[in-house]
Amino acid sequence: MVEWEGKEDLAFVLSVDRKFSFEPRTRPKPATSRDVVVRVIATGICGSDIHYWRHGAIGDFKLTQPIVLGHESAGVVEECGEDVTSLKPGDRVALEPGVPCRRCRQCRGGKYNLCADMRFAATPPYNGTLTTHYSLPDDFCYKLPKEMSFEEGALVEPLSVAVHSTQLAGIRPGNTILVLGAGPVGLLCCAVARAFGASVVVCTDIVQSRLDFAQSYAATHVHRMSGQPQEDKDALLQTLPVETTGFDAVIDATGVGSCIMCGIHALGRGGTFVQVGPGRPIIDFPVAQLCSKEGVYKGSFRYGAGDYELGVELVQSGKVNVRDLITHRFDFEEAQAAFESSSQQNGMKTIIYGYQVKQSWLAAKL
Amino acid sequence: MSEQNQSFILRAIKDVAIGNISKPQITDPHDIIVQIGQTGICGSDVHYWQRGRIGDFVLNSPIVLGHESAGVVTEVGSSVKNLKIGDKVAIEPGVPCRHYTVFAATPPHNGTLSKFYKTASDYCYKLPDHLTLEDGALCEPVAVAVQICKVGNVKAGQTIVVFGCGPIGLLVQSVAKSYAAKKVIGIDLSQSRLDLASSVLNSADGVFMPPPMPKKEDGTSHTTDEESEHSAKVAQLIKDKFDLGQGPEVVIDATGAQSCIQTGVHLCKKGGTYVQAGMGRENVVFPITVACIRDLTIRGSIRYTAGVYPQAVDLVACGKVQPQKLITHRYKFEEAEQAFETVRRGGEDVLKVMIEGVQ
Repeated sequence: MVEWEGKEDLAFVLSVDRKFSFEPRTRPKPATSRDVVVRVIATGICGSDIHYWRHGAIGDFKLTQPIVLGHESAGVVEECGEDVTSLKPGDRVALEPGVPCRRCRQCRGGKYNLCADMRFAATPPYNGTLTTHYSLPDDFCYKLPKEMSFEEGALVEPLSVAVHSTQLAGIRPGNTILVLGAGPVGLLCCAVARAFGASVVVCTDIVQSRLDFAQSYAATHVHRMSGQPQEDKDALLQTLPVETTGFDAVIDATGVGSCIMCGIHALGRGGTFVQVGPGRPIIDFPVAQLCSKEGVYKGSFRYGAGDYELGVELVQSGKVNVRDLITHRFDFEEAQAAFESSSQQNGMKTIIYGYQVKQSWLAAKL
Repeated sequence: MSEQNQSFILRAIKDVAIGNISKPQITDPHDIIVQIGQTGICGSDVHYWQRGRIGDFVLNSPIVLGHESAGVVTEVGSSVKNLKIGDKVAIEPGVPCRHYTVFAATPPHNGTLSKFYKTASDYCYKLPDHLTLEDGALCEPVAVAVQICKVGNVKAGQTIVVFGCGPIGLLVQSVAKSYAAKKVIGIDLSQSRLDLASSVLNSADGVFMPPPMPKKEDGTSHTTDEESEHSAKVAQLIKDKFDLGQGPEVVIDATGAQSCIQTGVHLCKKGGTYVQAGMGRENVVFPITVACIRDLTIRGSIRYTAGVYPQAVDLVACGKVQPQKLITHRYKFEEAEQAFETVRRGGEDVLKVMIEGVQ
């Protein structure tokens, strides 16, 4: 374990008028006796972080006070609340950065991701993890096996989104699945679907380089969308065994209306369509298709019970490779450049190291 | 000196006494304090009293007994939104710390047989005005019955056979009827309990008393195989008597008795569900091959899960389930030990025994 020797924490803060700056912060104490304080080592950038920077709002969540962004992180436990028994200082952990109330019907029913009082990192007004130390409950930290790097640990967050969606899609061995979108979430859905035994995983996008990557990464087939739903649908159904009339499951990781339209057309009878990518709030929807096929259309929101554990297991066992998604790395002081690069869709996943994190730690997988 | 909080305490095996514990103070803003009005006695309370353990739960230090309670709210924490002082509530006695679960009157956690009891506000359900505190207390075993039906996936139009017409068996029958089961059959060895099912609670459409095994001519006791064979015969008798065809979709055992378990498994329709709710011997002779060949789903049911307790309160509130008809004995708080003794000795005339709160 490398001890924190700094005096003051430093945070990467977004102002209300959407300008970034570095601000000193007091090191947090554990918020409750069951909380731990983690030194943040690696943080991935998500589309939502970019969106708050560029637009100041997502739906009803509006930036009304300065906020620390970032929520895809891994780090080292440095301090434990007095009732923490599952973790100790020095433990390397992936962070699940959303604290539910634990009391409402959703929480008690096991669907804490639907808690109306969820306090989620980097969703206004709650601060995220692009800071030096972060406090969260012990049961929202997942120990990293020693073979897993901090960077891989950070990517357990988007992987958990993919795990959650792919489980909602009900993928079983031998199933066929269409994943719309070859961004990080779409790619991870392809990878999880393969891990769950899907025999055909078709991935679509409009960017050829992303499709090329998808083909080498986890998809069995790729297709470049033309924007004409009928044409696209016909091409997609070509990938399926002869007797089938559609995919067992479709996951949309684009949020784009024409993709969703195509996806419903390509959905098999009795199949399940999972909407994981948010896009425009209102779209044109082929409701008659859904009805006559008895299709099931499900929303998917973040992740819930068991998803992080499964994510860690999938990486640890080699069934899902997250390392190959990381194309860009920046030091903490270069966080602004990291956001600029990521917003231009350079590469796939961008990682920002924690404040004063030395590259040698990451190499040694401390 | 702390304020009086008279409680019925299990100090050691077979050693109960009324004593004073400290009055609870609110420390978590979501907690409330309830003055307990009525408490029903459960077999598990008696079991801890007599044996000091149930499975892995072992009595190592004194605990307050009781967990089937209702009362009146006397204090609320600053974050409580669903309740106010003066509300009558049914108490769900298993509150998780929300990382694990803590159940009342299970060592080492105190139960509800005290004057004042502190618990989380989201585990208390406001009773409508027309329900009494006795109704409220009995929401607990009703919740157990609702959970059993949930586990068994009891649905409209099904045939359900319930072994045991004690409180749980009777309540399971009532709940199944409220779910629009086509036919509910109750099984017991006691005629008076069968009468309760068919005539008083109207929880069963039909009742049956299994015949005992005929004594052997040579006077020896029956072998395990002979018992198993008899159980299979009884299952066929039940199918014939009630025209159950291939058998009921769901069989629920609320006895824990080996003969009932065996008969129940034989009775169940192919692809059906068998739910073990009753607790008897820890190990029994079980017709595993029948379970296998007939593609049965065998499930255990314990306590209740999210959403079940509020559903139980609703069923009692709208009159579909009437647990107050199960009350056979009532005692004042000072007579708690006699109340426990009544349950311990048991008998056909003892169903639900209530202990009033400290006055």
